[in-house]
Formats: sequence, structure tokens, C-alpha cells
Amino acid sequence: MSAKTDVWQGTLALMVLKTLNAMGPQHGYGIARRIEQTSGALLSINHGTLYPVLLKLEQEGAIASEWGVSDNNRRARFYRITRVGRKHLTAEEAQWTQTTEIVGRFMALKGVKP
Amino acid sequence: VRRAIRRGWTRLIGTFLRRHTDRDLAQEIESHIEWLADEDIRRGLPPDAAYRRARIRFGSVESAKERYRDQRGLPTLEILVHDLRHAIRGIRRNPAFTVVAVLSLAIGIGVNTAIFSLVDAVLLRPLAYEDPNRVFVARELDPQLFGERLLGVNPVHAREWAARCPSVEDVGLTQRANVQLTDAGEPVSVAGARITHNLLALLGVEPIRGRGFRADEEQAGNHHVAILSETLWRSRFDADPSVVGRTILIDGESHEVVGIVAASFRVPSSGANRRDEIFRPLVIPDDEIGRMMGNYNYFALVRVKSGAIAGQALSEMNVVQARFPKSSGVTTDLKAVLIPLHEFVTGASRLGLWTLSAAVGAVLLIVCVNLANLLLSRAASRSRETAIRAALGASRRRLFRQALTESLLLAVIGGVFGVLLAGWIIELFLIAMPLELPRIDQVRVDISVLAFASGLTILTGLIFGALPAWRLTRDDPQEALRAGSHTVTQGRRTLRLRESLIGLEVAVSTGLLIMAGLLGSSLVRLLHVDKGFDHDRVLTVDLSLAGSKYAKVERREQFLDRLLANAGAIPGVEAAAIVTHLPTRGETWNDPIYLEGAPRAHKHTVNNRYASPEYFRVMNIAVRQGRSFEESDRGRGVAVLSERAAKILWPGDPNPVGRLFMGEDDTVKTLVGIVADVRASLQNDPPPTAYYPYWQRVPDGVTLVVRNSDLTAAAEGVRAVLRREDAELPIPAIRSMEDVVNRSVEQRRFQMGIMSIFAASALLVSSLGIYGVVSYSVARRRNELGVRLALGASRSRLLGLVIRQGMKPVVVGLLAGVAVALLVSRTIRNLLFEVQPSDPMTIAGVTIVLLVVGILACLIPARRAAATDAVAALRFQ
Repeated sequence: MSAKTDVWQGTLALMVLKTLNAMGPQHGYGIARRIEQTSGALLSINHGTLYPVLLKLEQEGAIASEWGVSDNNRRARFYRITRVGRKHLTAEEAQWTQTTEIVGRFMALKGVKP
Repeated sequence: VRRAIRRGWTRLIGTFLRRHTDRDLAQEIESHIEWLADEDIRRGLPPDAAYRRARIRFGSVESAKERYRDQRGLPTLEILVHDLRHAIRGIRRNPAFTVVAVLSLAIGIGVNTAIFSLVDAVLLRPLAYEDPNRVFVARELDPQLFGERLLGVNPVHAREWAARCPSVEDVGLTQRANVQLTDAGEPVSVAGARITHNLLALLGVEPIRGRGFRADEEQAGNHHVAILSETLWRSRFDADPSVVGRTILIDGESHEVVGIVAASFRVPSSGANRRDEIFRPLVIPDDEIGRMMGNYNYFALVRVKSGAIAGQALSEMNVVQARFPKSSGVTTDLKAVLIPLHEFVTGASRLGLWTLSAAVGAVLLIVCVNLANLLLSRAASRSRETAIRAALGASRRRLFRQALTESLLLAVIGGVFGVLLAGWIIELFLIAMPLELPRIDQVRVDISVLAFASGLTILTGLIFGALPAWRLTRDDPQEALRAGSHTVTQGRRTLRLRESLIGLEVAVSTGLLIMAGLLGSSLVRLLHVDKGFDHDRVLTVDLSLAGSKYAKVERREQFLDRLLANAGAIPGVEAAAIVTHLPTRGETWNDPIYLEGAPRAHKHTVNNRYASPEYFRVMNIAVRQGRSFEESDRGRGVAVLSERAAKILWPGDPNPVGRLFMGEDDTVKTLVGIVADVRASLQNDPPPTAYYPYWQRVPDGVTLVVRNSDLTAAAEGVRAVLRREDAELPIPAIRSMEDVVNRSVEQRRFQMGIMSIFAASALLVSSLGIYGVVSYSVARRRNELGVRLALGASRSRLLGLVIRQGMKPVVVGLLAGVAVALLVSRTIRNLLFEVQPSDPMTIAGVTIVLLVVGILACLIPARRAAATDAVAALRFQ
């Protein structure tokens, strides 16, 4: 574990959804790598934490999974985003953008010199 | 929220279906790690190092698996399932305990559920009338003639209330009388009522077939119409729809059936479940329409207008009431009283039912306490197991939950059996018990009863489980583990807890025993009270001479004359007589008697009876002075008074026989004799009573009483005589007078019996509890006892020591129980007869019984203690 940025669960779920939406069906390893790559190696996740998040998303119906065989002949569970998942994603994206925008405005405030 | 529900649902499913199994996850993780390793291998790392690095990057596999598992199912549910499995194992390991627990719980919950279903149907459920809160029973008060007694209603008054009180919507009247149905088969006498045409509408009841009565059918001449109950319609007319419109014979006269009312319909009555089978229009006779005062002979229901207040209606009625005495030149403070319908119907049953509920509640409490006690003794033997589990990291909450799961499981099993038992008990109540309760036919196990039973079950499980569970988990595991070894005496705290539970059990048992004792001695005193008559060897038959055949007085008189002659001639019959109302059937026919020319204030209300000359001989009622009436008295007014009645009319005269007074029919009577006072109901003092010969006002309802040494033979003879006289006369059951007396105390006998059963079972359970605790303490102190013996203590000393200690909580509980009983028993004062709620004999008796039972329960383990072999006990270490 490198001392980069901590990822909390809610955000991780959003990243997973976004990744699956962009890349189509993926297995756990693929998702984890993709997240690392996208963050430009700024973000390193403990790959093991991914699985409970995947399960939770599946329980919510946001993603679905099935067993398959990968290019190099490994058995793996492939996850794909569902209609419900896309709806979640749109809603959360909008909310996220809004939040960052608001926070961004506050960050842009100039301090008064004493 | 929907997401959360969905998640919950799939997790619930996941618990059972195991779609994402551990194997799947392991496979997934393995692939994942291989991929991670591949990256490094491609970069040239040796596989060993690559795998190590991959594992590090993946993070803790076990932690991932664990969190995955938590996310997968419902941990709470899984723990519950686990606890349940554990509980079932525990229950099966201890079959004896389980049987005792389930059985006692089933009985406790079953009896409580059954009694609740009674209370619910009789007291709690709203009456089956439309908007019953606006319906009241009206009574009148005429202080001058009748003092504080609540009277029926004069029909003229009822009419005026309806007409003149703005808050009164309607007033309906009824009068009850048994009627004879001579149509279609065997003649029968059934309960009937005459009702005003508005009564059904007033109660919001629609006939299920046909129509109600019309106003014009209350006019004499139009009144030959009838409404049948559904029950009669089904049983006697095979539910034939064409009965409506048909003509049937009631009391020997043709009546057209115009409607049928539902079987559940009742004219409200107090404390009983009387169902009328035939309704006819109430015709007020012409001579009564002119009577402004007196004639308080009708039962009146008042419906108050919606939005109006009962108090307002009552004050309006009392304004009207004030006019009647004035208009007939009387001065009396005539008042009306309104009784809420629910109170009127259920009032008489309330105390008895609540007492019963309290008693069964107490029984269940004892069951709980006893189970808690048993569980505590098991907890002692299981404290090692618990300690080990605690040492291995089980949290206290978790252990507590597990212990509670076991008791709840027991409670649920007991509850299920309890509900089955309740259904059976209710059946028994309905068939076999002499319960004169309103609405008793509506008792059943329904949703509210089931809800009560479930709630009670959970509560029971919590009550008897919480204390042992708490005790079990409070132990310091280290101490508990050490205590398991032989060198340290264990569980002093547990013992103290168990002793206080014993105290509680004994206290509740004491209370129940005292209640049962009070009710029991009431019953005994009631049965041995001086009734004023002798019920041995007397047969009774109720006869009703209704209908056109007996409409003429001469016909009735002829019939009665012949009946008396023939019944007296039955071989073996000592004497036969008739009377209008048997003793023990209550105070009836209350009308004033007075001295001629006396002011109205000196009229005295007495019970009036018409009887035949032999009546006093048949009933063995002592003639104190003068004589009974005789055949030679025909043609002149004579009467016999009871001692009290004579004393009221002539307070100073020791022998007023031969003096004159005015009878209830306002004609002059010569007093020919004075007889002993007779109780009209066992629990009340004998009322002043006047007796007149039957030929002075030939009644249409009489009871034939026959004194005979052989009751069965006499019954046959009486039946034959009646058949010969009138083959169409319905003959109800022929009863012995003893039976009649017993029936009047059936309700008490039932209360007393059920209370005794409860008290006895409470005592039994408590004595088992005492035994259990003392045995436990003896086993615990085996070493100590051995040492004492070795040091020279005598065996009797040991015996005394154990008993003294075992009896300590019993005595404390006993004192507490007596104190509580003294406080509580005052509330059942009305159920008692000639016994004070603080009756010292009862309390002393109960104390002795409990002390003896307590000592016996201690004795067995105490003897075991005394028989301790010092050497063996010490070697046991």
C-alpha cells in the first residue's frame, strides 16, 4: 500500500461504475488496473477492497456478473453495468460535479492578508 | 430507500441461496492475484517474488473475504440462525427440562389466552349495535314507594321522554316472557320478548329476512305478527324462506311471521346471554296508558341524538319526570337514570372476569419465575462453558443474545401449544362451564386473541430468560473457570438470586391461595346459610299457562286445582304445592303492602308470592304463628306474611295474626299466619315477603313443588299427571330443589373451583422451586456439611440448619404475600359472602399450608444433607 490517496467506499463504487460504463464488461483485475491507470498512478487501491464493493453494487442491481474465460484462459467473473447502474451513474455524476464545483468555488476565494 | 430495500432483499436471498459462494470468491481472487503476478513476471521478476508482490498489492485476502461475507448475507440473521441451532441443540440435550418448560409455558399461556378471549369477547369488544355509545338503559327512581331501588320504566313516561326531550332520539320498550310454540311438532316453551316497533331500528338492527314491526301493529287487534330468531327459524322451520308470511301458533294464537333476525341479535340484558327466539309487538293495555305513577314494568332503551350529551338528555328527562307526580297528586322525587349500554351489559361480569384474569396472570408469573429458577440452576452448570466462550472472544452481548434465544425458543414452542390448548379450553368453557356471561357465544380465537398470545409469548420468554441470561454473562470468566474446580465454593450470588425468586413465587402463591380460600369459605358459608326452607327431597317443575286455552282465569284455576289434587295423590308423595316464584331465584314481584288508610309514605315494598296451602309444608318453611291458608279461606281475602314483613307492618305487636292489611292487589287481607323468613337469593338477607292463596289472583306462571322420598319415581308420576291434564303443555326439565339451589351458586362454584386449581398449581410449582433451591444449596455445601459433621455437629443440627436456611425465603415471601393479599383482596369484596377480605382464619390456614409445604420441600434435601457421610464428603474434594 502506497501512501497516496485514500479511497473511500462510496467513491470507489462510483469509479467502478464509471469504468464499467466506459470499457464494457470487465473482471475484477481489469477494473482495479483501469482505476489505477485512470488516476495516473496517483491512486492506488488495495485490490482486495474491490470485491465487497462489487458485491454491494450487484446486490443493488447496478451491475450484473457472469463467469467467463479471459484472453489468457483464466476463469474470471465478468462484471457489466446494468440499466439501473447507468441511471445511478448519471445521477451521481451530476451530484459529484455539483459538489466539486461548489467546493472549487470556495477554494478559489482569496485570503485577506492580515 | 428503494436501493436499501433491494439490497436487503438480495442479501436475505443471498443468505439462503448462496449465489456468491466462498469458492467462487476464492477462484476470483486467485485469478486476480495471478494477473497481478503476471505483470511482474513479464517484467522479469522470478515467479516467487512476483507472487509475493502481487499478494501485497492485493492486500489481505482474509480481510477481503471476511468483508465480502459480511456484505453477502445478513449477519444478524446468520447469528440468529446460529443461535437457534445452538438453542435447539441445548433443548434436545435436556429433554426433561424442555418438557417441564414447554408444558408449564403451554398451560400458562394457554390459560391466559383462553381467559383473554373471554375478556375480549365479553368486556372489550364493542357491542354489536349501531353506534352503541349513544344507547342507554333507562331506569326510574321512585323514592317514596321504592326507596333507592332502580326500577323499570312506566310506558307513559317513556312516551313522554321521546316526545319532549330534544336530546333524545328515540325510546324503545321491551318486556320479556316465555312463550309456547305449539306449531310444528312437540310443544316447546321458548324465550320471547315483546318489543316496540322502533326497537330494532333504535339498535340499528335490520331483519335478515322480511321486515320489522310497523307502528300500527302496536294497536290491539293488529298485533298478531311475529319476528323469529334465525336460530329458531333454522332449528324448527329448517330455514324455510317461505316461513315469512306464514301463520304459526304462538301461545295458542295465530301469528303471521313477518321477519327473521340474525342469530347474533340480542335484546341487551345484564350479565347474561339470554337469546330471545320470538319477538312480538308490545301492546300497552288501555288501563296502563292512564297510569301516570307506578307500573315500572318495562325495560327501556334510550338512544341519544348524535352530538347530544347523555347528561343533557338526562336532565331533560328529569324535567319531564317532575310533572308526573304532580299531575296525579303525589309528592315524590321521581327521577330517571341512564346507564350506558356497555356498562349495563357487562357490568355484572366485570369483577369476576378481571379477578380471573389477575389469577391466571399470577399463575403465568409463577411459571416464569420457576423457569427462570430452573434456568439459573442450569446456568450454574453452564458457567464453565460460557466462561470458555467469553475467554475465546465472544462478546457479552453475543452471549446474552444466545442465552435469550434459547428461552425465547422455549417460549415460542410453549406458546404454540398454549394457543392450541386455549382453543380447547374455550371449547370447554362454552360447553361444560356454567358461565352466565353476556356475549359468551362470541368467544373465539381470532386475530386479536392470537396477537395477545404472541405478545404474551415473547414477553414470557423475555421475563424468564433475561435474568438467567444476565446472570450467566455477568460472570468474570476467570472466576468462573476457577470456581469450576473443586476447591472453591461457587455461585453464592446465584443462590441469593434464586432465593429471591423463591420468595416471589411464594408471595404470589400466598396471594392466590388466600383469594381461593376466601372464595371457598364464601361458598361453604353460602351453601350452609339458613335459607329458611329445606331443599331435600323436593322436586320442582316450572309451568307456563300461556295462550288462549288458559286466557280465562277459571280455566287456569281449574287446571291448578286438579293438578294439585292429582299430584298430591301420586303414590309416595307427601305433599304437592304451587308457588309463583321459587326461593333462590331472586327478588321479584315487588309491590307495596300497607295498612288501610295509611299515608302513602307508609307503604312497604315486599316480595309477593301466590301459593297453594301446602306450600309451606312442602318447602318445610316453619309456620311461626297462626296457620297457612286453607281451602276454607276461599271467598275471603287472606294472607300469610314472613316474620320481617309482619314486623314492618306491626312493629310493636308480638302476635298480629287476625289483623287486617292491604295486599299488593289493594284489597283487604286478613293475616292468618306468620312464617319464617326465606332467602330469595342465597347471598342476600331474606326480603320481607307476603304470601296469598293462588285463587286470589290465578297466576299464569307457577312452579309445582312436590315433597317425596323417591325423586325419580315422583318425577315420573308428575310427568304422567301433567300429560294427562294437558298433552300440549310443554314440560321443561323436572329438577330437584337441591339442583335449583346449586344452580344459583354455579357461578361462584366455578370461580372458586378455577381459583383453587390455579392456587394449587401455584403451590405445587413453588414447592418444586423450594425443593430445587434447597437441593442445590445442599449439593453446593457438601464439603462444609462434611466438615461440620467431622467437627461433631449432630445430624439433627444439620437437618435444622438446612431447613432453617431453606425456609428463610419462604417466610419472607409468605409475609409479603399476606401483605399484598390484604391490600388486593378488598377489591373482590363483592364476590365474598359473610367473609371479610382480611379473614384471619383463611390467612392462618394459608400460612400453615405454605409452611408445611415449604418444610416438606426442604425436608428431602435436608435429610440428604443430614445423611452426609463426613469421610466421603471430605474425600470428594
